Amino acid sequence: MPEWARRLSAGADPALVARVVRLAAAEWVHPERVRRALAARLDAGRSTAAAPLIEALEVCGAGPLPSAAAAERLACRLLRLGTKIAVVGEPGYPARLSTAWPELGAPLWLFVRSADGRVPHGTAAVAVVGTRHPTLEGLRTARDLGRLLAGRGVVVVSGMARGIDQAAHTGALDADGATVGVLGTGLDVAYPAGHAGLRDAVAASGGLVSEYPPGTPPRPPNFLWRNRIVAGLADATVVVEGRARSGALQTARVAAAQGREVLAVPGSLYQPASRAPLDLIRDGARALTRLDDVFEVLGALPPPAPPRGTQTPFPGVDGVAGEVLRLLGAAPATPDRLAAASGHAVGAVLAALADLTARGLAATTPRGVVAVGVPPEGAGDG
Amino acid sequence: MSTGLHGRARSVAVVGLDAVPVAIEAHVGGGLPGMTVIGSSGPAAREAVHRVRTALSAAGLLPGARKVLLSLAPADVPKAGARFDLGMALAVLAAVGTFPETAIEETAAIGELALDAAVRTVPGVLPAVASLPASGVRRVLLADGNAAEASLVEGLAVVPVSDLAEAVAVVCGERAARPVPELPPKAAGWGAPDLADVRGQAEARRALEIAAAGGHHVLLVGPPGCGKSMLARRLPGILAPLSHAQAMELATIRSVAGRFAGRSGCALDTVPPFQSPHHGVSAPALLGGGSGVALPGQVSLAHRGVLFLDELFEWSRAVLEGLREPLEEGVVRIARSKATVTYPARFQLVCAANPCPCGGGDACACADEAIWGYRAKLSGPLADRLDLAPTLVPLTADDLLAAHDGEPSAAVATRVAAARAAATHRWGQGALNADMPAARVRAVTRPAALRFLAGAVERGELTGRGYDRVLRVARTCADLEGADVVTREHVLEAHAHRLALRAAGRTPVGGRA
Repeated sequence: MPEWARRLSAGADPALVARVVRLAAAEWVHPERVRRALAARLDAGRSTAAAPLIEALEVCGAGPLPSAAAAERLACRLLRLGTKIAVVGEPGYPARLSTAWPELGAPLWLFVRSADGRVPHGTAAVAVVGTRHPTLEGLRTARDLGRLLAGRGVVVVSGMARGIDQAAHTGALDADGATVGVLGTGLDVAYPAGHAGLRDAVAASGGLVSEYPPGTPPRPPNFLWRNRIVAGLADATVVVEGRARSGALQTARVAAAQGREVLAVPGSLYQPASRAPLDLIRDGARALTRLDDVFEVLGALPPPAPPRGTQTPFPGVDGVAGEVLRLLGAAPATPDRLAAASGHAVGAVLAALADLTARGLAATTPRGVVAVGVPPEGAGDG
Repeated sequence: MSTGLHGRARSVAVVGLDAVPVAIEAHVGGGLPGMTVIGSSGPAAREAVHRVRTALSAAGLLPGARKVLLSLAPADVPKAGARFDLGMALAVLAAVGTFPETAIEETAAIGELALDAAVRTVPGVLPAVASLPASGVRRVLLADGNAAEASLVEGLAVVPVSDLAEAVAVVCGERAARPVPELPPKAAGWGAPDLADVRGQAEARRALEIAAAGGHHVLLVGPPGCGKSMLARRLPGILAPLSHAQAMELATIRSVAGRFAGRSGCALDTVPPFQSPHHGVSAPALLGGGSGVALPGQVSLAHRGVLFLDELFEWSRAVLEGLREPLEEGVVRIARSKATVTYPARFQLVCAANPCPCGGGDACACADEAIWGYRAKLSGPLADRLDLAPTLVPLTADDLLAAHDGEPSAAVATRVAAARAAATHRWGQGALNADMPAARVRAVTRPAALRFLAGAVERGELTGRGYDRVLRVARTCADLEGADVVTREHVLEAHAHRLALRAAGRTPVGGRA
């Protein structure tokens, strides 16, 4: 058995790992084919343990089995990326995800890039998902939710997509918590572009996982399968925003099929981005009416960490900037109105707005300035 | 042997803003009767023959037909228009001995002749007359309508003449020169409208104040009817009145453009000009042009004042491209078939635009990305030069019913003048913060302020060029406060004034880079 198999394993049987790598190196092997083989075995009533399934794939004849050299090349690539391989049924495979095997979308194997080669286990996990084109409100909700959950030690799972997903990851990182990102591409592919920093941060916190081998480009079907893993890694899924027929809806439905709780953030009836969550609520999902509601679907959690000591939530924001920040909300405000309401000269208000924007506490929209990161009521001590 | 009779008169040609003395010679001699003009060009000049001959006979001053040859020298200076008619008639009369040559040796004549011998006004009289004292002319004869602008020039006698007969009578000494018609006093309340008329719009007022104090260009963003052009019109009222030299320069441009009367038709206008061309205007009308010798365009008529471009996104890109030269160099150079002229065009730009594709207002349902995309259309020479972009909001009922007016222009103008004085003291006469090299501004800026700007560049909110521009605006904010050093507060405000210009703004969450 090759030496690299041991190094690529985080608890799984190295022999299985070696066979998995060899299979993964074949270009005719991709998750779709694996699923077909799995479905065939299910229909035939055959065993769906990992080892027999791998054997079935090796002899299925859909293509040549890669040479040992090709397998070694893939292994080197994986080692360079710092990844490990988890195989279903073996130690090191996420426990929650294995309940979704074999019928509910769990992958046969998973590439994991994290500090210890595994995803966090033993603690509660919640998936926060949504559209790639959210409103500022949605982004704020996702980020606040991520922050709140991570602050209580809950792992935040999402898909690393632009928009809601990244906001949730960022919120968890804000609170120094653990967050796991599930990719629809290879772990080395830079998609979405320009977010390498976030990817690295997520990998360092909870981990980055993918069932696709390195180099796999983003293709729309990949993301649908990825969503099943997102739901499978969590105890509950929260849909923050999504348009009608969006991927977030699919994630929620898979989560329900997997027996997990689904929550949705009710938004405005007129906001297209709130259509998916509203439809889910209509179909029976739980409405998230306060950020805290998410804790009701989780079991007992350890008590929250004591607050970090300062009185104001924003150390260092005082004076005009502090007053302006208190006046800002989710509705866009113009400098004129802020000046009139605060009684300060408009020049000072403008300077305060630039300051707040630079700190990430406010954001400029075409209609005015909105607050970002202000904890809404009912957020506890987080 | 007939040597013929010879006569001379003086006039002035105007090329661009420059005046060139013209000597008119008349030769009356034997030969078939007829009149010919050489050394002049253009249709009006070609028709001069008919005008002069008809006017002479209408005035009963030239009995009989003669062979007359008129020459305008120097021949290579373009001499368009009919301004030499009066001079030509006088030269002919001098040739036939109506008066001795010495009578008009130190006299110039500028005017068109009507067929009934009346003297008509011509454009460009001010620069023409201004050049005369230097060439030894003591007296100028011209039309009544041109007398007002000519009287702005000192050092020579301005003699209005209503027709050729009067001109001859004055030259012969038979009649005294009429005094120049009295200029009507400046109408009370004349000047730019007052800022007190504007309610609310604190951000826009502040932006205008900064623009006036530092010479920065402004984009007013707001839905139709919220007062963008009302505010723009009030900018000249907080700029300093023009100095005498500047007012003369502006009057010269107006004179050449044929618009001397301006808006007041009175004594020298020292209110900074305000030009508001329509977005469908042609490039020559905006920048200057026309065939033959180019006339000044709107940008030159706005020299030392304000050029207002309403509906900025309706302007054609090609026309806006033409603004590059005046914005960069303060002049417009126009080459035409006859001559290349340079007109000054140093103005302050105020643009106005709707906030979004639907026009904005309460009913606006445009998505945020659509709005940023709409604003990203701003390109060309303006994109980098607009430093302040306040947003105007429609007034609410409360605003309209509020008891007090806005701050009047006089108060704002005082602050602006103080800030400009500080800049002059620091950089030298006539220098505005908007024109100063960035390095010199950096030298008087606090490091904390520079660090904030560097941070903004890193966050992608500012380009390198934007960095320099924000610095200059911050320098103006400091001047308005009377501060010597630019601090972080000033830089923050200056940066905030351009936030509406950010194309495709970054969302606040979206990755921790």
